[in-house]
Amino acid sequence: MSETSRRTLIAMTGAGAAAGAVTLAGGGSASAATPRPGRAREAVVAYIEDHASDRLRLLVGEREVVIRDRDLVTRILNAAGGQ
Amino acid sequence: MSSHREAPEISKDPVADSTDVYAFVSPEDPGKVVLIANFIPLQKPDSGPNFFEFGDDVLYEIHVSNRGTSEADISYQFRFTTEVRNPNTFLYNTGPIDDIASEAWNRPQFYSVTRVKDGKKQVIKRNLPCPPVNVGPRSTPDYPKLAAQAVHKLPRGRKVFAGQRADAFWVDLGSIFDLGALRPFNQAHLIPLATMDGINSVQSYNVHTIALQVSIDELTRDGSVPSNPEAPKSTIGVWATASRRASRMYDEKTGTYVGHGPWKQVSRLGNPLVNEVLIPMAKKDKWNASEPSGDAKYAKYVDKPELQGLLPVLYPDVFPKLAAYTKPRADLDAILLTGIPKGVVPGFANYTGAVKADMLRLNVAIPPATPGTEKPLGLVGGDAAGFPNGRRLVDDVVTIEVRAVAGLTIPLVDPNYTPDDAAAAVQDGTSYTNSPLLDTFPFLGHPGGGYQTTPGTTSVS
Repeated sequence: MSETSRRTLIAMTGAGAAAGAVTLAGGGSASAATPRPGRAREAVVAYIEDHASDRLRLLVGEREVVIRDRDLVTRILNAAGGQ
Repeated sequence: MSSHREAPEISKDPVADSTDVYAFVSPEDPGKVVLIANFIPLQKPDSGPNFFEFGDDVLYEIHVSNRGTSEADISYQFRFTTEVRNPNTFLYNTGPIDDIASEAWNRPQFYSVTRVKDGKKQVIKRNLPCPPVNVGPRSTPDYPKLAAQAVHKLPRGRKVFAGQRADAFWVDLGSIFDLGALRPFNQAHLIPLATMDGINSVQSYNVHTIALQVSIDELTRDGSVPSNPEAPKSTIGVWATASRRASRMYDEKTGTYVGHGPWKQVSRLGNPLVNEVLIPMAKKDKWNASEPSGDAKYAKYVDKPELQGLLPVLYPDVFPKLAAYTKPRADLDAILLTGIPKGVVPGFANYTGAVKADMLRLNVAIPPATPGTEKPLGLVGGDAAGFPNGRRLVDDVVTIEVRAVAGLTIPLVDPNYTPDDAAAAVQDGTSYTNSPLLDTFPFLGHPGGGYQTTPGTTSVS
């Protein structure tokens, strides 16, 4: 997965969690994301079943996209925070 | 029940809960096969104001396997869409519904039919109207008319119906699930009670039915109309499923759930009572999510059914031969998981190959019995057009399967075994006392009306 799409995902995750008052630290990376022509243009659910793995499931439309990207998983876990 | 609330997870999701599947050669048109899948169990007719309906968020499917792999070679998909005509009323209908296009019906439901073969989807028809539920004499004054309007003709001589019907299943739930009791044999039970007739627990409830009638040559592997009952191509496997999206998010803006991701199977049904009675509780949910072609891992529960071991305990001294029988139940394995090979029943076979899979197996080369002459015990009663050759609405599958588990069908594969006398006599004491069946498609009886419903009684002791 490209860095661009990772950032896109994180931006979307942050937006989806807005009601929970979660705000992603920008760090400059989110602002650098460039939308690709083939990006999803509908709601996306991201699911990390095992926080210790590198596996991320993206549910979009009637599809499921499985990504293995430990860096991306870690960034989402960081954004989600702990107890 | 056949498959009403048969597993812990699906019992919490009635809209996706398959209750019964039927497959038979049409008695009104022997060149066609009728496929019926019922969902949404135990509908009390007076359940307004929000009456029962198919789920817009559920994918309903009827599958056919015709190549002996127990994989779906043809699937028919049904997707529903519900409209609200008048958002400013709480009423299901604002006046009498005298036509399925009536504007007085405030919550009409429509559906599409899609055929999938070899991975290719073909939408056969969209925007087909369902009938309303049977509300009562003021709201749905001519229910048979509404039901008839909901029988739609499709290309290639097909017919389809989707909507509320009377449940055609009959069984004494109250007794069977009270420690395996059969009321006519109450005095022989380990905990004896007075003997009495069975009580049909399902007779006054409705279901939601998807019924499809298609030409035989649409379902066979080579597009033929087979005439040799012993030819492998004569038998098709049939089962139904319901699926939901992988994820549901609650949208607080609308107060509804929104689905995301691919469809995931949550309900499966082929032969009656398999998941209900044979599969252990801890495995039932996973069974519902799995494919028939993977059923080999459940074969041990068919080859040595728990109920077989319970009968001699619950009915002491009644089943001594069954208690002593220790071989794997090859008869049940054949009836439920592979089909019956030729040579077992003269002139009959519905074997679909070595792949163990729970499917109804319909031999389309067997002509239907003349209406009125069907034998409810089906094949074991000498009527090869009945269960386990597919399943008809009139087939007494509870009695057939209880007697089979009790050992009646063991001699089919083990001629040295002589069943206990009780094996040919056990029954729950119920009969078809449900809404009268129709002579024509979709064959299931009209659903009971809400206004006409009278409550049962509660008795604690």
